[in-house]
Amino acid sequence: MAGGIRPDWWSKASAGAILGLGLALSLVGLYAYLGPGGINAPGGRYSLMRHLEAFVWIMVFGFCFLFRSGRAAWAWLGAANLIAFAALFACRFYFFA
Amino acid sequence: MIRAEIVKLYKTVHTWIGVSCGLALFIAFYAGALTMFQEPIARWASPPAVGVEAVSLEDAPRLLELVAAAYPEAREEGITLHLRGHENEPARVTWVEDEPHEAGQPHGHVHWWATLKPDGSLMAKQEEPSDLAEFINDVHMRIGIPNPWGSYFMGVVSLLYGVTLIAGVIVLLPSLAKDFLELRIGKNLKRMWLDAHNVVGITALPFHLVIAVTATAWGFGVPLWSAQESVIFGGKQKIAMAHDLERWRAPPPTGEAGAMMPPSQLLQRLNAQVPDFEPKVMVFRNFGDKAAAAKFAGAERGYVGDTRFGGVILSAVTGTLIKDNRASRQDLDRRVGTVILALHTGEYGGITIIWAYFFLGFSGAWLFYSGNLLWIETRRKKARKEGEVEQSRSTRLLGSATVGICLGCVAGLSLTIVAAKWLHGRVADLDAWHAYIYYAVFLGSITWAFAWGAARSAVHLTWLCAAFTVAIPLTTLLAWAFPMLGMWAHGSAATVGVDIVAFIGALCFAWVATATAWRVKNGPADSVWSIRKAEGRTAARQSVAIAAE
Repeated sequence: MAGGIRPDWWSKASAGAILGLGLALSLVGLYAYLGPGGINAPGGRYSLMRHLEAFVWIMVFGFCFLFRSGRAAWAWLGAANLIAFAALFACRFYFFA
Repeated sequence: MIRAEIVKLYKTVHTWIGVSCGLALFIAFYAGALTMFQEPIARWASPPAVGVEAVSLEDAPRLLELVAAAYPEAREEGITLHLRGHENEPARVTWVEDEPHEAGQPHGHVHWWATLKPDGSLMAKQEEPSDLAEFINDVHMRIGIPNPWGSYFMGVVSLLYGVTLIAGVIVLLPSLAKDFLELRIGKNLKRMWLDAHNVVGITALPFHLVIAVTATAWGFGVPLWSAQESVIFGGKQKIAMAHDLERWRAPPPTGEAGAMMPPSQLLQRLNAQVPDFEPKVMVFRNFGDKAAAAKFAGAERGYVGDTRFGGVILSAVTGTLIKDNRASRQDLDRRVGTVILALHTGEYGGITIIWAYFFLGFSGAWLFYSGNLLWIETRRKKARKEGEVEQSRSTRLLGSATVGICLGCVAGLSLTIVAAKWLHGRVADLDAWHAYIYYAVFLGSITWAFAWGAARSAVHLTWLCAAFTVAIPLTTLLAWAFPMLGMWAHGSAATVGVDIVAFIGALCFAWVATATAWRVKNGPADSVWSIRKAEGRTAARQSVAIAAE
């Protein structure tokens, strides 16, 4: 990366906070459907999931300042959200409906 | 290799989050360290009572029958039979009843205990147990802000705390191989504090990551729950939860009477069927009914985590195992969830880990305190380069806030612990007083710190912490020497431990106070920790400073 990193505090932080939460919910949601036993598995999955979501959220928020700019953060994380949510809703409304 | 500009970027992230969240985190960590000994503190604060031993396990069936006959609500809600004989268990049998309320409305609870009189008749009394330990836990979880805003606030703080941990590691990584564990003790005080901050932070990193993740999950617990239900589960979460509750629930009463198996025999049956389970209490549901059940709360040897929800249930009539949710029978998701919870609360590995967490909690509190201090001192260096000789207004204000909030929390918690003995029986609502006292000291200290400035007030308030903390063992000593004061001095190792730890803590505060007093008098004059004014320009600046305050 030749151009250097722009700080872009507010746009990067908002991407981390908002899109980080979205990515957390969608990825952990995929685990709920694709993990052992599937979405109807009895047990404590719904309870464990909050911790997994918190972990993903913190990781995305924490590393989002590495993006070259706020615009790049929103673009990459937005695309990741789109893919992850598409996969989640495919599971929820199509494959395991 | 991490490029310098990335390090610089993350240094800003680390600093700004640290400075804005550090004070809330200090309170959470200091109070959290105390909650590691929640049970000994509850025992210390509990007045002498009839005690569990007053009724032997052999006589317990008669006591249970009398309670069940006289208090039908207790039969339904569950009668707890205590097995350990701790000071915070007022009698062999206790139960909780709802306060009068309209159906479906939130309501309070009243606590009862019961024992047998020498003539074998029932003696039952309504008495509220000390809520001191719960109050400390409330301060830990929500730093004193009412629910649900306190939870959300700490959710935000915990999320940012996780981010600042990542940022701190990124900042440290390039120099890690070179500087790690190197504590440069010497003239450069700031360098030494920075080294210490780094060593403490990086060695306790796994602990801090676990705390950040779990605290974020709990702070946002309710919103995340709703988000999961609407985005992921689409209604299936409610079903899974109901299924869980069903596994922990005692069977419904049949209405037919049944003969109860005595508790001692039930314990034998438990031991025979679930050999590694160590029960703390047993709770009878629907006592006297054919479908009566005995729920056991406790832990399984060799497994992490208590089964708080009555993991093992026996029929109170036949002693057969009805429901078995002990650790080794849990599904993988719940097992992992329980382990993560235990990693936050330190409930694994016994007393060694409890002590380790106690010190990790303090070290965390110290990290936030030292972080603020470093920021202030760095600002001073920058300012000095630009020809300033005094602290800017923002650093002085942050200095005062740091001193007032941190030391106010410490002093407030100590005094509210002391009040458990002094105010018992003298005020109507002791639980409310615990809160009044804590907030009075906390807010008073903050006011004091802003009125006197960081340097002077740090000395005053650290002495206040030492005084209030040494009052904990002194109160016990007074109670022991002068029984007419109406207080008590328990002799168990756990409660004496509270007194000893408080005494050592008070000595530490006294030492810190002496050191601070020395620095205030003799340290660099342009530090926020100095009461000496930088030479020159003094008069003019002083009047400006006073006007600003």
